[in-house]
Amino acid sequence: MIEARSLTRRFGSFTAVDDVSFTVPDGALLALLGPNGAGKTTTVRMLGGLIAPSVGDATVSGFDVRANPSAVRARAGLVTDAPGLYEQMSLPAYLDFFGALYGMPQPRRRQRIDELIEFFELSDHRRERMSGFSKGMKQKVALARALLHEPTALFLDEPTSGLDPLAARAVRDLITNLKHSSRSVILCTHDLDEAERLADTVAIMSKGRIVALGAPAALRARTSPEATVRITLAEPFAQGQAMLTEVAGTLPAEGAQAADTLMYRTARPQEVNPQVVERLVTAGARIVTVSSETRSLEDVYAAAVGSPQETGLTSSGAESLNGAVAASQGSEAQ
Amino acid sequence: MSAAPIGDQAEMSTFVPANDVRATLLIARRAAIESLRDRSTVISSAIFSLVLPFIWVFAVIRPTASGSDDTLAALLIVYLLTVGLLPLTVASGIAAGQFAGEQEKGNLAPLLAAPVSNRAIFGGKVLGAVLPALVYSAIAIVSYLIEIAILISPAKLTLLPPALALSMIALVPAVAIFAATVAAVISSRVRTYQAAQSIAGLLLVPIFLPFYFLAFVLQSWGPLAVLGGVVVVLALDLVLVLIGAASWRREEVLARQ
Repeated sequence: MIEARSLTRRFGSFTAVDDVSFTVPDGALLALLGPNGAGKTTTVRMLGGLIAPSVGDATVSGFDVRANPSAVRARAGLVTDAPGLYEQMSLPAYLDFFGALYGMPQPRRRQRIDELIEFFELSDHRRERMSGFSKGMKQKVALARALLHEPTALFLDEPTSGLDPLAARAVRDLITNLKHSSRSVILCTHDLDEAERLADTVAIMSKGRIVALGAPAALRARTSPEATVRITLAEPFAQGQAMLTEVAGTLPAEGAQAADTLMYRTARPQEVNPQVVERLVTAGARIVTVSSETRSLEDVYAAAVGSPQETGLTSSGAESLNGAVAASQGSEAQ
Repeated sequence: MSAAPIGDQAEMSTFVPANDVRATLLIARRAAIESLRDRSTVISSAIFSLVLPFIWVFAVIRPTASGSDDTLAALLIVYLLTVGLLPLTVASGIAAGQFAGEQEKGNLAPLLAAPVSNRAIFGGKVLGAVLPALVYSAIAIVSYLIEIAILISPAKLTLLPPALALSMIALVPAVAIFAATVAAVISSRVRTYQAAQSIAGLLLVPIFLPFYFLAFVLQSWGPLAVLGGVVVVLALDLVLVLIGAASWRREEVLARQ
């Protein structure tokens, strides 16, 4: 379990982290979101036993980060924002170095290194110096290093950065498995889709403070409980939009609509949507699809911190064509 | 990818981290191997260890070899110390890169996140800078003696008083530790490798000159005086390393990022 209580860190007159509190139980993942400079890395460094808090306290796997930072470091696995490898070394030698520092007996170390190298599909590169590795390969090595000593708590700063989609998916699956095997995980990411998929709790940080904290669904609901419903028709249906207003619980949707599309907002989709569909079908409309969009985590983030454009946030969904369409739909719906 | 390497839950983080001595040696070994594989370090070290001794033997000592044995013996001792000390600039270069350089590359944080003490990290970094420099110093001294034997005469090697020569050679690691510790302390307190190297480079001249001066004053008093000087320098090293290790804080290094 990771527990932070009023964690504050000052560097001179600058407060990097201000009164941060949260709990990550065993088997849970907390995603730390926020623009660069929000205090995520400093928070992770305090929890990882690298720097002491100025005020407040925290425990990781039962050990106090201030009183016993070495015990915390022995139980924590850290992936930093840069892979940070000794590039003149070979991969097994590098992992062996860290395994020895963590006190792993040699037979176990060797077995574990083999497992990790195989898992991350780096077996063909065992003999090479890591200076020739691609960014993705280096990221895999950083992950292998963090997992080597069987940590009970994991601090992952952009763990899928630089990985190809398949490798990124495998790492996400790995993170899920780690979570399910009773580890506490803190994930710093700019990828909101990743956060939404993996996190039990999301903490959005801005200027050193947590500005939103909760389960992704709860945060979305808190920002706006309304869903935007989009009905695509086989052909334009002139009286459709007027019919929507007759159903109690519907509100007009914002944004431009195509002639063969009907849109409305509702806070009670389970009750309202069947009524709307029934009326439209009875009136002769030919419905192709009905889709319902709730507020995305991106909307929550934008509301808490500012727009994603302002904060330099990236969404992997928005990077793909489908994601871009979804994002534009999301913005239309607001 | 194959099955997830989750590991045995019962075994989670039950390992006892390496103690200070073992951690220091592991860190030193890693740093030394890394620098011995670094091309720019190898090239500059080869110049100090092989090229410069050859030039001195060929261009300075050889022309005076036909003169008096006393002059030649004095010259041989002077250059024995010089060829031994010059590769130590490598030690300060490596030490300068140990904190500031690694911080710039981003590979310091994983080490700082490991369960090793500040003492072990600092000591390992200093030792890791000293060891390759000593290897290069040893190569320089051996190549110097071989070149004297080949380019002048093997018989001239007997002009080197063994006790004094060994005392002079003993001074080399003592000065290496001093230079590396100073450079490591500077490296841990600046932001960039370039700044660390510049400051360490500027400090090396005033550091080396007194040692050089001390060596020459003491050599005229005999090998025991030189050995006494070595002991004093080693004591100075110990104090400097202890102060450096005690005052080094991992979070100060991270705060500079």
